[in-house]
Amino acid sequence: MSTDVARPNATHLAAKRALKRKEAYIGWGFIAVPMALLLFFNFFVFIYAIYISTQDWGILGSKGGVGVENYARAFQDPIFLKAVRNSLLYAAIVVPLQTALGLFLALLVNAKVRGAKFFRATFYFPSIASSAAITTLFIFLMAPDGLFNRFLSLLGINVENLFNSGAWLSDSRTALYSIIGLNAWTTSGTMMLFYLANLQTIDGSFVEAASIDGASKRQIFWFITMPLLKPAHFFVITSGMIGAVQLYDQAILAGGADGSPDYSLMTMVLYIYNLSFRQLQFGYASAIGVLLFIIIFGVTLIQRQIFGSRAWSAED
Amino acid sequence: MKTTNKLRVRILFLAMLAYSLFSFIPFLWSISTSVKPQSEVFEDSLIPKDLNFEAYVTVFTKIQPNFFVLFANSLFVATVVVIIQTSLAAISGYAFARLKFPGRDILFYIVLGTMMIPDQLRLVPIYQILVKFGLITDRPINYAGIFLIKAVSAASIFLMRQYFLTLPRELEDAARIDGCGPFRIFSRIMLPNAKPVIATVVILTFQGNWNDLFWPSIILQSPNHWTLPFGILQFKGQFSTDWPPIMALVVLSTLPVLFLYIFCQKYIINMQLSSSIKG
Repeated sequence: MSTDVARPNATHLAAKRALKRKEAYIGWGFIAVPMALLLFFNFFVFIYAIYISTQDWGILGSKGGVGVENYARAFQDPIFLKAVRNSLLYAAIVVPLQTALGLFLALLVNAKVRGAKFFRATFYFPSIASSAAITTLFIFLMAPDGLFNRFLSLLGINVENLFNSGAWLSDSRTALYSIIGLNAWTTSGTMMLFYLANLQTIDGSFVEAASIDGASKRQIFWFITMPLLKPAHFFVITSGMIGAVQLYDQAILAGGADGSPDYSLMTMVLYIYNLSFRQLQFGYASAIGVLLFIIIFGVTLIQRQIFGSRAWSAED
Repeated sequence: MKTTNKLRVRILFLAMLAYSLFSFIPFLWSISTSVKPQSEVFEDSLIPKDLNFEAYVTVFTKIQPNFFVLFANSLFVATVVVIIQTSLAAISGYAFARLKFPGRDILFYIVLGTMMIPDQLRLVPIYQILVKFGLITDRPINYAGIFLIKAVSAASIFLMRQYFLTLPRELEDAARIDGCGPFRIFSRIMLPNAKPVIATVVILTFQGNWNDLFWPSIILQSPNHWTLPFGILQFKGQFSTDWPPIMALVVLSTLPVLFLYIFCQKYIINMQLSSSIKG
């Protein structure tokens, strides 16, 4: 009797196990090609970059190991230090600007105003054009006799008396700040969407309860809405920082491979490009890439510490 | 009370209108400049005194390579990347969401982890590898470098997985009882039900690659293979202050994404919205 029961059970179990194994093979099969490409072009390449950074690597490959010499050199290279300064200064200003503007636009669009959907679409519009197109357009608008300066003179500001005579992008004192203005404007549309997504998940009853308790609009914003937007704050600030320290497109379009004028638009990434493809110093360029990675990694860790890790989990 | 509220709404509306104009005027200005003669470029009027399409003639015929070549290259690169990236993301996103296999969760975290590695760190080693593969060349094969780098996107896999997680299990169970194999279940049952997320990945990938400057500027060697953003970078140097043709190129290169945006606006914004909630 017992064998009669046990036998079908055993075959059933075996069949189940075979089915499970089959599913495992299928699963691996489905991800094999993408995983292989992903591992090769990310992890292998990552380790390879570290290796290259310890070599004197020219156009024909390694001319021998140099240990940490490339790293030591970076800290004494005035152009590299300028690039780090520019990248960090840029990030320190553009991230708060685009975050605040993005939040402000999201709040506007989220308010019950006629045409909110239309405005949402127009506010996002600057974010869809290519950086090449929009930067070129920006250079044109900021030219000494361009639209921006004409607008200033309309307001009664005489451009010729300005300290840079209105040559915003060809004066080393204003070039980086002009690019900051451009990118705060174009990126804020994307940031608006992230804030909007978060705003739409906020339960209206919190706000209602607070206003019944006599909270003012300002109190509701600072003590109810802002804390509830924490996931968006984290995402917008972290991805904004990571993007900002990787400034490249606008810098090369406005300042060429040397970040002209006077290296005022030289960024870390532009310097990596310049060292690789102008000076063919691949080993040194790689060392700077590794340093950039360390900066990005550090910034992410710090922000995670501030905002807590919940916001970054993959599950929800 | 009511009137102040009404006034406030009106002010809000005007502020939004002003910012919309601020967002649009630069683009209107580029269109206007592209149909002005050079002598009128720095005049204040948005509407040119006499329409002049010479800049477009220059862009279509005089620059090397001409606009149509750049356009075709951009279209080719963006389309192939979209096809490869979307298919690989769909099949692996499905596996990560619905199949059980050892190592699945760790591998998925590895996928997400790759988002931390900046492109610029990958620049030098990838360039060296492509040189070794013989893909840095002025023959058409140099496009293969771009396709290899962009074949897999962690973000696309993530979007796909999140979507497949929401589909009901009964869909697969019914097909399995009917005797469908796993690939048939994926291609016949799951894919048709994943149209919204496929549309999102297609649109976002297309837009991103149509606009990409970084990798094409490094990999593409021959002018005949340049894409539009790279073309703009090159011609801006060549034409320096000959603004009407440069603006014509800017206008023409923005039109496709503009149309994409107008027709798929709901998709783009809604999906950006819903994917960012999960981010």
